[in-house]
Amino acid sequence: MKIHKLSLAVAAVTALVLAGCGTTSERTADGPQAQSSKECKGADGKYVIGMSQANVAEPYRQRMDDDIKTAAEEVPQFEVKFADAAQDNAKQVADVENYITQQIDLLIISPNEAKPLTAVVKKAYDKGIPVIVLDRKVEGDAYTGFIGGDNVQIGTEAGKYVAEKVLPDGGTVVELKGLAGATPQAERNQGFAAGIKANPKIKIVATASGDWLREKGQAQMDALLKANPKIDVVYAHNDPMAEGAYLAAKAVGREKEMKFIGIDALPIPSGGIKAVEQGRLTATFTYPTNGKEAIAAAKKILVDCGTIDKTQTLPTRLIDKANAAQIYADENPTG
Amino acid sequence: MTDVKGQATATATPVEKASGGVVATLFRFQSVFGLLAVFVAAIIFSPRRNGEILFLSADNLANVVRAVSEIGIIAVGMTFVILIGGIDLSVGAVLGLAAVGSAVLMVESDWGFLPSVVLVLAIGLVFGALQGMATAMIGIQSFIVTLAGLQIARGLARIWSDGQGVAIAYGDGPNEAPESFAILGERTFGGLVPIPVLIFAVVAIAAVVFLRISAFSRHLYAVGGNEKAARLSGVPVIRVKIAVFAICGLLASLAGIVHAVQLNQGSPNDGIGYELDAIAAVVIGGTSLAGGRGSVAGTIAGALLLGVLNNILALNNIDSNIQLLIKGLVIVAAAALQRLRPAS
Repeated sequence: MKIHKLSLAVAAVTALVLAGCGTTSERTADGPQAQSSKECKGADGKYVIGMSQANVAEPYRQRMDDDIKTAAEEVPQFEVKFADAAQDNAKQVADVENYITQQIDLLIISPNEAKPLTAVVKKAYDKGIPVIVLDRKVEGDAYTGFIGGDNVQIGTEAGKYVAEKVLPDGGTVVELKGLAGATPQAERNQGFAAGIKANPKIKIVATASGDWLREKGQAQMDALLKANPKIDVVYAHNDPMAEGAYLAAKAVGREKEMKFIGIDALPIPSGGIKAVEQGRLTATFTYPTNGKEAIAAAKKILVDCGTIDKTQTLPTRLIDKANAAQIYADENPTG
Repeated sequence: MTDVKGQATATATPVEKASGGVVATLFRFQSVFGLLAVFVAAIIFSPRRNGEILFLSADNLANVVRAVSEIGIIAVGMTFVILIGGIDLSVGAVLGLAAVGSAVLMVESDWGFLPSVVLVLAIGLVFGALQGMATAMIGIQSFIVTLAGLQIARGLARIWSDGQGVAIAYGDGPNEAPESFAILGERTFGGLVPIPVLIFAVVAIAAVVFLRISAFSRHLYAVGGNEKAARLSGVPVIRVKIAVFAICGLLASLAGIVHAVQLNQGSPNDGIGYELDAIAAVVIGGTSLAGGRGSVAGTIAGALLLGVLNNILALNNIDSNIQLLIKGLVIVAAAALQRLRPAS
């Protein structure tokens, strides 16, 4: 019995090692031809697209998946599969590896972080699978195309809007920043600073980090309201924090004294466009999910046998009271 | 007396053989049979392409064991802790701390490969030992001690890395990790075995052998079976507890090094929730959370079972929320089987 159990353990471990052994012989055997084996079948083909999402806990990313799904339904040749990495780099690497195993025809990925995903994206690309990277980048150039928004530009637009339209005569601004260390946070901050530069009478009197979260934005704003008797504009790096700040101001009856500006403008009921339409936010700036554009790029590669630009930057759009209702309706044609 | 009891659960004595027979054996190896069942199911439900069963492709099987390795390494340490009736919630955070530590030491502090790895392993060992002391000497429940440990390790990781992921680049220059570390980062050893799998295999074999041959093993089961009786019969309970938590911390930081090397980055948010996966592997492996009963071999089978399950669900693109549901049901089923197991 004793020996039996031990041998079982050894057998299990051997199986582990053997499973590993099989790999490389296989890999080297079919490696060289993999690159050239992909031929464009054009409009007659059927294509499986794998979408690897960093997480679906953020509404922005759920919307990205939804946009991809909706756009893909218009292309009869496409079938899209979705994987959610739940903010875990290791899980996302495994997700992409599973897609490679499934021999998908094209990979769309919105990486959780650049560095850890670079190798596996390259692996897919080297196997001849076209890769479209969305929103967050990977390192190097082993991918087919990158589609994303320009956060510096979005920040700049927001800054200019404040400097020219909201506070032409100057005033005080509070900035609620995203999660420390996140690139969009740094870029939205940097862009805004550049945007308000034209108007030296504007002062940023306080900044705080709300970690992209509504409740943290609210808590930070509670404190900022106590510390600053006069606030003209709250610039938040995303709409949920702007909404949190609005709620904090409303709680002490000061919401009418100031204007709230956010970023993202998700066309969903809890998103920024509705908040502008309903008067809680003064303005927000679209940060495109790129879902539609990703499917358009996939169609160009697989169905039209064409090529796409290595980098495609999508412009932002100002949403204010004047266009909010119309844009919301446009983005949600079914209601 | 306690030693005999410990033995009875550790290995099959003639007494148990007579009373339990075939049924007892079935229950003892429930995770192995479970693994076989899930494996067969995975073959049946595997998507196919041009007649090839994708699940069985060598590439895919390598992916399965590689994905399991980190959790497997942690789960081996967790098995020890659970065998003495404790729990360690800090392992995921310790993994994050170790991942950050190896990246910072080699990339930013320009340390060599060996000293970095040794220091990081030592940090895990000491961290675990301190938790063991707190629970064994002060008498705080290990759940509470390691819950605090989780926060502390996560906090240390964030402080050490300034809250940001530290990318690992290789080379001889400043701010580059030594090439010797890159060899670990290569996904296969000598073009044959994926490195994490190799490390997991070594850890697993060492643990199984260790539990077979050392007197420590009897102490372990004795403490888990009945701590008071163990103490009365001369088992150094405090030393056993400290050693067990130290081993668990050491293995968690080893997993952290593997993690950093595989992902080319040490991030303070690495390993969130890994403690739960490790506990799940141990429970599916048939180790009782009450302590005193279970085996490392069972845990390895449990970890592989979870890995195969994850893989086949992903290959079939089952919705991630449904995946959670299925995994939860498997854990409950494993625990239910434990309750049905005849007493030894």
